[in-house]
Amino acid sequence: MNNTENINKVALFDRIFKPQHIVLANGHEIDRPRSRLPLIIICLLVVVFASIQLTGFDIKIVIQRFYQLEAILGKIFQPKWSFFNKVTGPLFDTVKMSLLGSVIGCILALPFAILASSNVNKNKPILLSIRFFLSVIRTFPTLIVANVCSLIFGLGTFAGTVAIIVFTFGVVSKMLFESIETIDMGPFEAMESLGANKFEAFWSACIPQILPTYLSHCLYCFEMNIRAASILGYVGAGGLGILINECIGWRDYNQLGMVLLTLFVAVFTIETFSSYLRKKLS
Amino acid sequence: MIEFKNVTKIYPNGVVGLKNVDLKIEQGEFVAIIGLSGAGKSTLIRTINRMHDISEGTLTVDGTDVMTLKGKELRRFRRKIGMIFQSFNLVTRSTVINNVLTSMVPDMPWYKTLLGIFSKEQKIAALEAIDKVGILDKAYTRCDQLSGGQQQRVALARTLNQNPSIILADEPVAALDPITARLVMGDFKRINKEMNISILINIHHVDLALEYADRVVGIRAGEIVYDGPASEVTQEILDEVYNGKSIPQAAKE
Ligand SMILES: Nc1ncnc2c1ncn2[C@@H]1O[C@H](COP(=O)(O)OP(=O)(O)O)[C@@H](O)[C@H]1O
Ligand SMILES: [Mg+2]
Repeated sequence: MNNTENINKVALFDRIFKPQHIVLANGHEIDRPRSRLPLIIICLLVVVFASIQLTGFDIKIVIQRFYQLEAILGKIFQPKWSFFNKVTGPLFDTVKMSLLGSVIGCILALPFAILASSNVNKNKPILLSIRFFLSVIRTFPTLIVANVCSLIFGLGTFAGTVAIIVFTFGVVSKMLFESIETIDMGPFEAMESLGANKFEAFWSACIPQILPTYLSHCLYCFEMNIRAASILGYVGAGGLGILINECIGWRDYNQLGMVLLTLFVAVFTIETFSSYLRKKLS
Repeated sequence: MIEFKNVTKIYPNGVVGLKNVDLKIEQGEFVAIIGLSGAGKSTLIRTINRMHDISEGTLTVDGTDVMTLKGKELRRFRRKIGMIFQSFNLVTRSTVINNVLTSMVPDMPWYKTLLGIFSKEQKIAALEAIDKVGILDKAYTRCDQLSGGQQQRVALARTLNQNPSIILADEPVAALDPITARLVMGDFKRINKEMNISILINIHHVDLALEYADRVVGIRAGEIVYDGPASEVTQEILDEVYNGKSIPQAAKE
């Protein structure tokens, strides 16, 4: 379906901007389609200009108020070291939320991703309803989910964990079903030919192909979640976000600096470790 | 014994895959099926283990009417028929032995499949199958590190490990270089002779077909146009199979 759409678009473009006609010495002919680049650049410029107008972005204000930013940054870069004791607890909460949320979200994503893959699931109605469900899930911004969760489950890390589960589930199931659709179905066919049922064939032929990609998606999502989790406290879902919110509220940018520094070290350590693992997997 | 009686296969889109095919293959025969691409070789082979359904006629394998099978019976029936593919169809990132072990999966309880637990005996049997195709030293190597010929041997070992009485091979050497192709054909020949396994092989290298197979079936546009010993295949017969010129009457029987 996509293909025919593309073909139609191409035809429309080429009808307006006629292709260049090349005739070789031997009389053979070929049409060279016009480059689309100029059109794309014009579109981009229009969009940028329109958004500047719409958002009221004014470069003068940025320049005038720059001293403010300077003052804040100055303080942030002089963190208050004694504040570290207060930071460890929420930091631990943040890591806990993202780890637990990632694990649960990733496990839930596996069966849904399998059912959302068109090469495995031949049942169109189920396939389409699962995909629809997954896109709906992905539409909810994590902050909103966290906010709603903290209304339902009360303030605290549990709400944050649920928000992260929802986010992880949406992202991993999408990335995973897209990788499942690219696997080689030959081994699956071989398994069926030797008397395996669909489950046995899938488990023996497809899972070994998917597993490394799956784990790598999970780790990647975990990396993102550490960062995402730190902001969730803003809406009352526990973790470092609460502290960040407080520090900004008190205009105590030295403390804020300490929180951000800790967060940076934590995120950096976890990301380094996780990318190392992902490299091992591929 | 495999017996086609007036078998016709029409694909859902109306393409006639097989037309009034009559064919009888005894246990232990080595049959090469030749024909242009699109002639219906794959279709013929895939109806035998019911990877494809037939539309008319009857197809029996060792007395079982293939079209009556369904579900569990069909899967049990497929246990004794091995299948080899042009593209090997291995899990390339798994080791040789893990690929060979997968052919035991249908006989295992589901929790062992889930956890990938294989018994010592199963592992020894798999190693023996790998030894039979001469690549025992590669047993613990990942398949993506093997050459095409070695990968096809892994596929052969996987099939042997299920103890089949029939092996169906769909263009098994089409992706291999000529020398490796001969080695793999030699493996088929040896397995055929030593283990009395019937072998049906689709192949478009006529010289290999004539050299290794005992019997040749020529197929054109879904119809069998030649069926006889490999030693009696003449240039006229090949012309008939490949170009569609009519065969002199004498050569037909
Ligand atoms: N799944 C299918 N649906 C429709 N037509 C098919 C299908 N598979 C094969 N065919 C057609 O059936 C004919 C025989 O194909 P095939 O058995 O694959 O030939 P061969 O293996 O000799 O190249 C061809 O015309 C092919 O296009
Ligand atoms: Mg074919």
